[in-house]
Amino acid sequence: MERGILLNMRRALQLFMLLCLVSQTCAASHTLVLVVRADSKVTDLDSLTVRKLFLGLPVLVDGSLLHPVRNRSDKELDPIFLQQIVAMSQSAYDRQILNGVNRQGWLRPAEVNTASRILETLYADPNTVTFMWLHEVAHNPRVRVLRVLWSN
Amino acid sequence: MRAVRLLLLVFLLGAPPGRADSLRYEFLLLPSASAVGTFERRAGNTQIHDEVVQADLLLTLQKGPFKLFGEYLVSDHEGDLERFQLGWQLSDDTVLWIGRFHQPTSVWNHDHHHGQYLQTSITRPDIDEWEDLGGVLPQHFTGVLAESGATVMRSWWLRTAVAGGIAPQITAEGLEPFDLLRPDSNRHQLGYQARVSLHPGQFSESGAGIVLAQDDLTGVELTSPELIGFDHAQVRLAGLFATYAGAKWKATSAVYYADTRLYYTGSRGNDRFVVGYIQAERRLPHNLTGFARWEDSAGTGNSPYLHLFERFARSRRVAGLRWDFVQRQALTVQFANTLKFAGHYTDIRLQWSAAFF
Repeated sequence: MERGILLNMRRALQLFMLLCLVSQTCAASHTLVLVVRADSKVTDLDSLTVRKLFLGLPVLVDGSLLHPVRNRSDKELDPIFLQQIVAMSQSAYDRQILNGVNRQGWLRPAEVNTASRILETLYADPNTVTFMWLHEVAHNPRVRVLRVLWSN
Repeated sequence: MRAVRLLLLVFLLGAPPGRADSLRYEFLLLPSASAVGTFERRAGNTQIHDEVVQADLLLTLQKGPFKLFGEYLVSDHEGDLERFQLGWQLSDDTVLWIGRFHQPTSVWNHDHHHGQYLQTSITRPDIDEWEDLGGVLPQHFTGVLAESGATVMRSWWLRTAVAGGIAPQITAEGLEPFDLLRPDSNRHQLGYQARVSLHPGQFSESGAGIVLAQDDLTGVELTSPELIGFDHAQVRLAGLFATYAGAKWKATSAVYYADTRLYYTGSRGNDRFVVGYIQAERRLPHNLTGFARWEDSAGTGNSPYLHLFERFARSRRVAGLRWDFVQRQALTVQFANTLKFAGHYTDIRLQWSAAFF
């Protein structure tokens, strides 16, 4: 009888641990992080500066211009980008970018469609700032996570 | 002179802060095509010579905090280097430009420049019209322009721009800005402008501000008998403007007060006039936008300065509809009734405009 109770408790504990692991993995795959190259001079960017950067406004760090790269490797990223990062509709964002080029000669953020290309861009340029899913960059020694942008 | 400019460019793009950075560029093409028809013509000289087909090309080259920004407009009647600016980004929100620029006290042009797609109406208010289309205020200067922004009162955003440079000259055809590609050896005078505006946030289009300018415009090759002895005109300008940009409604208004002095050999004349406009835009279902603009003026009828420019519109009523039928392409239809010194006319315009990266 006692042995049966112990067995059930053990199974329950195992199930609980498994659930924790699964939930952690799920959370990691739905956490969006702001990343730079590991040796980048950028140490921190607040949400206003991140917004400026991805709206095409110039952001200088130690006299170097930061290069924003919009990650379009996953369709799920587009609504998060518009709602959480630049906080405007697609049409308003489009207009903002056009106005920036027309009025000030600003450069619009580069757009990259695959995670591997984004990593290549990041490795090649210490001034690149981009965003990726946490599970794509976790344990990557060549990439530094600056902050969490969004998580479900 | 060309060698000096080239050396300056090489020096700036190769300077230490920029050397570590790669050269980046941006290209934007803003084409448009329109058809114009006029009727009820009581004026001999109506504004029917607007460009029918045009392409506005913008190119930015950036290396670190330095950039080269150019705008070239090709149309069925001209090809002009409209802007050519070498910029130094001193901080995130401050940039210093040298070169040919659009002066910052034109409320409309400061926002829209030459890109037809980026303005809702087909035509611009006549007081902000370009020099080669009969504009009465100088728009293109060659000199120095400094633009800046700063947070004030916790969350408000203050934008400033100050500029000074070689002013356009007054010719028999109207105002003629200094041409960087075909520089002339005529006597040119200078103009200075300042603009300050306050906005609810850094990214907000809404806001209000003031503009101030003093421009000296040399008279060149004016053969008309009443202009014998004319040397130059001085235009002092003060203006107020406000914009509200909401989700559905947008309204832009500006009022300019001008004090002009005409200097002749041994005599001087002066006058004052006020010109203003308000444009309202309403977003409608199906990517449609309706718009209406009212332009009016006071004290313009007896202005000797304005009589130098036959095509100036003393008042104008504009209404139209824009349809953004696909991303970055629009069709616009516009009706306008214009009163000029010589009479009035009505026109209808149809335009296709687009933006391509």
